[in-house]
Amino acid sequence: MFGLFKKKLQKLVDNLSGKVEEKVEKPEEKIPEEIVAEKPQKTSLFKKIAEKVKKSVIEKTLTSEEVTEVLNDFENDLIEADVAVEVAEKIKLDLINALVGKTIKRGKLKETVDDSLRKSLLEILSVPKINLEEILAKKKPATLLFLGFNGAGKTTSLAKLAKFLMNGGHSCVFAAADTFRAASIEQLEEHAGRIGVQVIKHRYGADPAAVIYDAIEYAKAHGIDFVLADSAGRAHTNVNLMDQMKKIIRVDKPDLKILVIDSLTGNDAILQARMFNEVGVDAVIFTKVDVNEKGGAILSVTHELKKPILFIGLGQEYENVEQFNAENFVQNILS
Amino acid sequence: MFDTLGKGLSGLIRKLVTGTSIDKKSVEEILVELKKILLQSDVDTKLADELILKIRKKTLEEKIPAGLTLREYVLKVVYEELVALLGGKPSELTEKKRIMVVGLFGSGKTTSIGKLAKYFLKHNMRPVLIALDFYRPAAPEQLQQIGKQVGAQVYVHNKKDSFEAAETALKTFSKYDVLIFDTAGRNALDKQLAEELKKLAQVIKPDEVLLTIPADLGKVARVQAEEFHKLAGVTGVIITKMDGTAKAGGALAATSVTGAKVKFIGTGEHLDNFEVYNPTRFVSRLLGLGDLQTLLEKAKESELGPEKAQKLIEGKFTLQDFMEQIEAMGKMGPLQQVASMIPGLGGRIPEDLLQKQEEKMKRYKYIIQSMTKFERQNPDSIEGSRIKRIAKGSGCSETEVRELLNQYNQMKKMMKMFGGKAGLERGQLKNLAKQFGFKL
Repeated sequence: MFGLFKKKLQKLVDNLSGKVEEKVEKPEEKIPEEIVAEKPQKTSLFKKIAEKVKKSVIEKTLTSEEVTEVLNDFENDLIEADVAVEVAEKIKLDLINALVGKTIKRGKLKETVDDSLRKSLLEILSVPKINLEEILAKKKPATLLFLGFNGAGKTTSLAKLAKFLMNGGHSCVFAAADTFRAASIEQLEEHAGRIGVQVIKHRYGADPAAVIYDAIEYAKAHGIDFVLADSAGRAHTNVNLMDQMKKIIRVDKPDLKILVIDSLTGNDAILQARMFNEVGVDAVIFTKVDVNEKGGAILSVTHELKKPILFIGLGQEYENVEQFNAENFVQNILS
Repeated sequence: MFDTLGKGLSGLIRKLVTGTSIDKKSVEEILVELKKILLQSDVDTKLADELILKIRKKTLEEKIPAGLTLREYVLKVVYEELVALLGGKPSELTEKKRIMVVGLFGSGKTTSIGKLAKYFLKHNMRPVLIALDFYRPAAPEQLQQIGKQVGAQVYVHNKKDSFEAAETALKTFSKYDVLIFDTAGRNALDKQLAEELKKLAQVIKPDEVLLTIPADLGKVARVQAEEFHKLAGVTGVIITKMDGTAKAGGALAATSVTGAKVKFIGTGEHLDNFEVYNPTRFVSRLLGLGDLQTLLEKAKESELGPEKAQKLIEGKFTLQDFMEQIEAMGKMGPLQQVASMIPGLGGRIPEDLLQKQEEKMKRYKYIIQSMTKFERQNPDSIEGSRIKRIAKGSGCSETEVRELLNQYNQMKKMMKMFGGKAGLERGQLKNLAKQFGFKL
């Protein structure tokens, strides 16, 4: 995971360290011809820094100019890694603020950049944690509603969460509230059969709000802890379907509205998140994280929504889930 | 349609068309802006750079053909390069016999197959849909239900073995016109899944391998397309989920690394929401020039008739036409889609208005049906007691009847606006559209 990200970061650190350390240690050495040819735009900068470094051999104060040039590259890299443009800009600005005008000791540059980036990323990812037990303690049955764009992985994520909850000793019931897509109900039933969960369903074309209502009634009558409600995938631009979602929320009052986002989504992820959030989102699940090496969507969406990440999906099996851990995530990126 | 990319570009084009004059400096500015739009639309960085380079070279270094201003020339070059980037000439699939559909998880393979089946049926060909996805729960059932919806034969192997299923299907259905294989969604970098796909392709020996790429897919599109191409030899791309806000930049990367062309575009969750891809039309729609060709074709398909479509464009229509339109538009697809095809109108009508209108159209139909022939042809005559009677007859409120009349008038105005004398800007767009060979 995030192999590319790491490479980019290392490139940044190397670039910056190169500016300070190489010149500090060997200020008299000439820049090899090939490098000059390869990165002509960097040459003048190298020279400038080399001159400055001669003056203060042990310490170095970074100027906005030097930092910005490298960080512009870094910003492009972030954008290339599917981080939404506005988020990439924020990370860049944070880094500039952290680095410009700083007097950095020799050999401390990598550490300084690392710290700054870690802080910036952690700040983006610092979202409240979510505790399903607490939600359950407040209201039983607790209703968890899954929503998202077509093909994001709602049903699979729902089944994974059910398995997780049942492993924790809880009981679940499914509400087959995707009454639109072909075989969506059968898909849910098959998961249910494998996990050992009851499915409350109506016919195709039925009112999803009514399906969930019935499932909640069923859970009440049978003392079941969680109602997990699947919903049809919908384009966030489809006003009718978004209105339908509003109705579901109004009628069934779900205790947790979980937005499922495909982590492979590009710049559009932030817009999807924003528009679903207008209907209501309490937590997010990122799927297909095993396919994506870059994780840009996770950063973008979390920056936009500031909502807890329930878990991340890493494959087709029920066990392929991980609790999202911001520290680990950032560590992963930076190590 | 390539939504943000489209909106960004049509803004840019509007600047090009309406800006007072264009010098070399403003060409550079436009190119910077163009690159930003491309990147935000998930277009691969390399690809964007290449495109910009070509456009710069052509606009600044080559001689401007006689009769064109620099402004028109820049627009023409941007247009041509985008057409080149978005794939060459469209090709039909009717010669193909064995079609394999591959792609990432949740990229829209099975839905697209339903749409493909419909496409072949329309061409009087008999398709059979073969389920090879035995991983995802109820994937074969999904195919079966879709097959039922479109009226196509579906084959599901009882042993749930994709290789045996493929082999049996090849033998059993050799007399069918076209065999469409629905493979499981996969990460092409997953060794086991990759190996399976490779073997499947060896068994099936497909004439056509279609890769589904969701419009919102990010930069993984390039590497995934590359891998899929290595495994199965991708020959075409289906862009799916074009009804969201996404920009389909990823699909461009996919076509660029595989050399395959975009063949179809999925524009919604209903099985009708499917278009044969035509880059020329697509780009002109993208640039806000509208897509009359598709509109007229769709109109024909939905029995509206080209004359009626022309009428619609010219804004000459009565309530009778309005109702026929309501009926026909149901068949033409969502209003929003229709509007995006009309030159100069793309993206200018609030989306809300269109969606709400669509819902109300059903009720409007009842109202119009409760009118007399005279009333339908002379909407101005509908007042007071007529409104009362119509409301009673249709089971709607008087307010709704008035609203319908208002909407009708509003729509009439709108149609007139883009159809008739439409100001300098649109006049220019019209000219440009003509230049690109669109009949207006």
